[in-house]
Amino acid sequence: MLNYDFKWSILWTDPYGGWILEGVATTIKLGVLCCIFSMLLGIVIGTLRITQFKPLRIFAEAYTEFFRDIPLLVQLFFWYFAVPSLLPENMRTWVYQEIPDFEFWIVVVGLSLYSSSRVAEQIRAGINSISPDQFNAALSTGFSHYQAYRYIIIPLAIRLVIPPLTTEILTIFKNTALAMTVGVLETTFMSQQVEAYTFHGLEATTAACLIYMIITLIVVGAMGRIEKRLAVPGLIIRKGANS
Amino acid sequence: MIEIINVSKWFGELKVLDNVKETINKGQVVVICGPSGSGKSTLLKSLNGLEPFQEGDIRVDGISLNDPKTNFIKLRQKMGMVFQRFELYPHMKVIENITIAPTKVLNQSKSQAGKKAMELLERVGIPEQADKYPGNLSGGQQQRVAIARALAMEPDIMLFDEPTSALDPEMIKEVLDVMVDLAQSGMTMAVVTHEMGFAKEVADEIIFMDEGRIIERGTDKSFFENPESERLKEFLRKILI
Ligand SMILES: Nc1ncnc2c1ncn2[C@@H]1O[C@H](COP(=O)(O)OP(=O)(O)OP(=O)(O)O)[C@@H](O)[C@H]1O
Ligand SMILES: [Mg+2]
Repeated sequence: MLNYDFKWSILWTDPYGGWILEGVATTIKLGVLCCIFSMLLGIVIGTLRITQFKPLRIFAEAYTEFFRDIPLLVQLFFWYFAVPSLLPENMRTWVYQEIPDFEFWIVVVGLSLYSSSRVAEQIRAGINSISPDQFNAALSTGFSHYQAYRYIIIPLAIRLVIPPLTTEILTIFKNTALAMTVGVLETTFMSQQVEAYTFHGLEATTAACLIYMIITLIVVGAMGRIEKRLAVPGLIIRKGANS
Repeated sequence: MIEIINVSKWFGELKVLDNVKETINKGQVVVICGPSGSGKSTLLKSLNGLEPFQEGDIRVDGISLNDPKTNFIKLRQKMGMVFQRFELYPHMKVIENITIAPTKVLNQSKSQAGKKAMELLERVGIPEQADKYPGNLSGGQQQRVAIARALAMEPDIMLFDEPTSALDPEMIKEVLDVMVDLAQSGMTMAVVTHEMGFAKEVADEIIFMDEGRIIERGTDKSFFENPESERLKEFLRKILI
């Protein structure tokens, strides 16, 4: 016998509705910032992984392994608790108390670094699937290595890896939920808070589920459009991207 | 114009160029043939510094590729290259494929480079394809775009690596016609090809490579009609079937 007193209206009752909306806004801000930073960093690191200049290549390999191999939660704790504890006492207090939204920016850093290592792997795979002679062709017209990557290889690689990048972006948005563990007031945190105040956890958690699903659908739709716009005759296009 | 002086190259243990000597003078067309794996592509790529070599030297217009001060970017601007699989940039329209290097490398204006590109497309016979993407062109058309792309940098030397061997037979001629035209206009060319007709028509010298060495060289008729080495005889038997 189900004995739960559903009260969906809790979700648009003041102040709970407002909390959840704030949480959504924070989730989106966090996700978008982390997407931008992890794409930019991932493109740079992924490209460095195949340069001929060995020190940079080794740096990029170490970077990828380091950030990819450690659980994200541990990395967030590392940046939030461990790193500031290396600081002198008064600076530490200052960091925690005076930097506005310190925990928010810590998650931006942590999640971006973690995700960029995964994006780098995708970019590297994309570049590796381009024939070496394509690069030679670009060099043969007088391009520098930088220009060949900038105008030819990277634009092509990105087009080739849009489907896996879509998955990475979705993962970033889902991983923003971990931000609650260091006290960022994002969607998951707020839904938990609504539960704590109202004991209507089912409604609050359902709302959170729906919100993540909607975000996912928006990302998939947007990436499908980007993929279609960048589609190149003769390159493989993922089935269903045009829907 | 190009002097290849006792060049040897190894890929790990494998010697792919073995003491290669050759001179290509201004306006000359040199055809390089030989079996698969004999080092033809490697030799061609070493001419514009795409493949380093361990021994010997190559001089282009007197500039030594061994000289640490040599600017390879400048050097390559004078040497166009055409590849077996075209290697056009698939995400750019035909016209952009041709204009990107002149605009980014030589800082030409878009309109100046575009005008030149259209002239080149006229020259290779496909001005109507300018706004298409390479993926929508036939192989022969793509290779002609690739030639136009190389010519857009106004090179003094053109390098061709089996430009027709990925093409269907009916498209080979349209590409060879462009190359013959180029040869007759006085372009210095190094061409890896097994197209005997082309060699007979325009080659000033034909060299036959095997296992990284130049085994035989000659000028047109004598070369194909009186091969000296067993290897060349065998090779000619195979490709003439
Ligand atoms: N990047 C590389 N690493 C190792 N070995 C290579 C590399 N590129 C070429 N080789 C080897 O060097 C030799 C010469 O290759 P090259 O491509 O110059 O031959 P080719 O005469 O152009 O042959 P084909 O007619 O098949 O194009 C071959 O044995 C090849 O396997
Ligand atoms: Mg070859």
